[in-house]
Amino acid sequence: MKVLIVSLYHPELVRGGAQQIAFELFEGLKQVPGVEPVLLASVDQTTPALYKSGARITGFDGRPGEFLFLTQEYDYVWEKSTDVRLAEAFIEFLALIQPDVVHFHHFLTFGIDYLSLARRALPEAKIVFTAHEFLTICAANGHMVRRTDQSLCTRASAMRCHQCRPEHPPEHYFMREMWMKAHLAAVDVFTTPSRFMIPHYAAWGLDPAKFVHVTNGQQPRQAHPAAPAGAPRNRFGFFGQLVDVKGLHVLLRAVVLLRAEGFTDFTVEINGDNIQFATSERRQEIEEFLAAEAELPLAERNVVFNGSYHHDQLAGRMARVDWVVVPSIWWEIFCLVVSEAWSFGRPVIASDVGGLAERVTHDADGLLFELGDARALAETMRRACAEAGLWDRLAAGIKPTPGRAEMVEGFLAVYAGTAAPGRLAAE
Amino acid sequence: MSNGPMPEPGGFDEEVYLRLNPDVLMAVAAGKFRTGREHYERFGRTEGRPIIAPGALPPDKVVMISPTGQGHEKPRPPAGAVDGVKLSGAGGIYITGWVNDALDRLDCIDLYFSGWSISFSGANLARVRRPDAEIHTAIVPHPCGFWGFIHAARRLSSGMCSAVLRLKSGAELHLMLTVEAVDDQELRNIALAGLAQAAYFGNPYFAAVASIDSAIGSQLVDFNQTLTRRAVNGPYIERFGHTRAAYKGSIIVCLYGRPEYMFLQQALFSRLPGIQDYEFIYVCNSPELAELLLKEARRCALIYGLDMTLIVLAANAGFGAANNLAARHARSKRLLIMNPDVFPYDTAWAERHSAVLEALPPERTALFGVPLYYDDGSLMHAGMYFEMDTSPSFTGGRRQETSLLRVEHYGKGAPPGTPRFLHPRPVPAVTGAFISVDQGWFDTLGGFTEDYIFGHYEDADLCLKSLEAGRAPWLHDVRLYHLEGKGSTRQPAHEGGSAVNRWLFTRSWGEMVTEGLLGPAPLHPLLAAEEVA
Repeated sequence: MKVLIVSLYHPELVRGGAQQIAFELFEGLKQVPGVEPVLLASVDQTTPALYKSGARITGFDGRPGEFLFLTQEYDYVWEKSTDVRLAEAFIEFLALIQPDVVHFHHFLTFGIDYLSLARRALPEAKIVFTAHEFLTICAANGHMVRRTDQSLCTRASAMRCHQCRPEHPPEHYFMREMWMKAHLAAVDVFTTPSRFMIPHYAAWGLDPAKFVHVTNGQQPRQAHPAAPAGAPRNRFGFFGQLVDVKGLHVLLRAVVLLRAEGFTDFTVEINGDNIQFATSERRQEIEEFLAAEAELPLAERNVVFNGSYHHDQLAGRMARVDWVVVPSIWWEIFCLVVSEAWSFGRPVIASDVGGLAERVTHDADGLLFELGDARALAETMRRACAEAGLWDRLAAGIKPTPGRAEMVEGFLAVYAGTAAPGRLAAE
Repeated sequence: MSNGPMPEPGGFDEEVYLRLNPDVLMAVAAGKFRTGREHYERFGRTEGRPIIAPGALPPDKVVMISPTGQGHEKPRPPAGAVDGVKLSGAGGIYITGWVNDALDRLDCIDLYFSGWSISFSGANLARVRRPDAEIHTAIVPHPCGFWGFIHAARRLSSGMCSAVLRLKSGAELHLMLTVEAVDDQELRNIALAGLAQAAYFGNPYFAAVASIDSAIGSQLVDFNQTLTRRAVNGPYIERFGHTRAAYKGSIIVCLYGRPEYMFLQQALFSRLPGIQDYEFIYVCNSPELAELLLKEARRCALIYGLDMTLIVLAANAGFGAANNLAARHARSKRLLIMNPDVFPYDTAWAERHSAVLEALPPERTALFGVPLYYDDGSLMHAGMYFEMDTSPSFTGGRRQETSLLRVEHYGKGAPPGTPRFLHPRPVPAVTGAFISVDQGWFDTLGGFTEDYIFGHYEDADLCLKSLEAGRAPWLHDVRLYHLEGKGSTRQPAHEGGSAVNRWLFTRSWGEMVTEGLLGPAPLHPLLAAEEVA
């Protein structure tokens, strides 16, 4: 069985969860007898040196089965390219590879209409689409967070989407929905890394019987770094991008509240970057907090900003914290940070919705607090610091995170048509 | 008070004459005239010089001294200005300015060029408000502004020109101007935008239409016809996909300004069973989109595989001419005129449309429309009917009335399933957003009338031509979505064009509509067909 994995970017060129999972799947499928995976990962003008004159598809650093798709002229309004030669090259590539399965791990940079293009080029192939967020439903980055009041969105509509993004009239979003659905009609099976996503897509009008939950899985990297015995469990860590939906501001506000209560025996370490993609309002809030913190005498600082990190540095960063806080204010589809925290034996304190609520079991392997509520987070952090034995109990409750093999097994069941809709395919 | 007779020449008094006319006294003293009498005979009489001594005038009576009652002084030049004169290659001449003619009406504006001249009749100029000039007419509201348009239909030299604004009294304002040469399309847009954006006393829309009624409207239509003929001449045509000998229908879509509707329609219509029996013909009025549309058309052929023709015109030919041209490239006996922002309501649309053609008698399908829906789910259109709007105005103390036909849609905004709007029936007209018409009948009617500027009213015009020729438009329940007005971008020139079109439509069809087609339930015999369940 030949499986073509279509990936938004290559994780070794541009980091990101969707491409990481696509690559893990590619690596995993290579180990399966009788399966021949091919990876087609997009690049864009952020890596101009990879473009070769006249080429639309090239190899990647001499690696067998890995190809780069040199995207052009992408239109983010309609999520499509206007380049004819790219489309022709994709058709030719499909004809050359002749995959039995075309597995899209994203449509960005390729275009949503590549689903229809693949269907037309390969009428008999199985087309699988893995949704890593709600971008087909939600034009506001697929987050389904209402820009009007930052509340979670549970229902897209022409009017509601117009309220979030008033630069287009309601008719535009009506059209966008029809446009997206026209191409999603080419998909045989949808997969989602979290179960909670399926009702969202069903409410939007897609057939839930075509959905299968397949967890994200990664190769475990290293053993747990030891936690200092007996020390108070009062060290909190934030890992991720410093953009609005990741909710760092909620954590910083919780710090302010704890200090106001006179509670200062804790530390918060911030690991991440990309604050340039935050809204100006949120960026200002975070930067002003960090600047004020840096003015404090060293002994009075609770918050440390460590900046960005490479995966190789993760163990060291994790060793400095007891808890990993995930205060996201969006649905948080799967959250690889949770997997990473667990892989290092760190319990997670997380917002109580979406993928986080699905993965973290309150008081069993972590703690949940009400999404966006800084006071609830402050109370949770204070409990985490003060309650004797809590950390040990929750750390002991952490179950092994899904591995690559588990994910590969799930997708193989999807390819074979034996996965049950709405259930974990490997179950 | 009554007028007295002119004084008899015999009553001339030398001493009185020289006393009342000191300049003559000086001239006589200087030897230029021998006597005052001599001056009077040679000049004074025609100049209306005073000859009756103070105290000798009859009380409470006007005494005519000269035959016309006019003095010898020339009237003073009026306050006014010509803001600009623009000239286009096809011979469009556009003038704007203002003049204080509240008391002494503007007679004409004469322009003298090297080698040619032209006179704009004051009666044919559009009069508009000019708040910046109204300090000259502060007491009486008066439209000081004017603009005029004449289509000379020949190439004329521009450059400097001498302009004379002449009032009825003979008063003249002389000006020297530099005439601006502009592109034909630009001149059309300037004139139409000016029409739409000018300030008026009273209802602006009706005042605007009234202002072009006497001459400018006809001149603009005539000028536009020239541009239209040129725009459809030598189009770029490319065929995509396969070419069958014949199709069940040719879907003709006129694009303007918004290229994305082509790939959106292709994506959505290509999913419909039976759509392979139809071809698409896109005709584009925006030549600047040519490259993008060609790329999109090639992508559409790769992705959706429908048979398609793309026609790109050299300029905006308007809705009617563009569709007529596309119709000539159709490979079927059925034309489906469709707006770019029209989309299938359900997947059975193509099959239902074909079924209507196969099942119903020809007189019910010669020309028909369908219910159209807004994106919000409510009904947008279920046929059209006509009303007449009349607006009086009292500018200058005179009462004037302007009447304009208005096109209304049955069921606009109604709940989606309202039966009385959806049942098949003859209607006065259907919207050009979707018209399914027999190609032979379309040709018999002469296609769309190409007199209308840009677009608007060609659809109702076609339907009235059909009614006049003996076949009523019908409405059949083959639903579509229509994102009304989202298929192109509107500019002030379009609003001006729309006003001209409404004026033209009223002039063309006002009488016929008034005689039996007014209102939502007209009594026209062809519309009284038996209702179909």
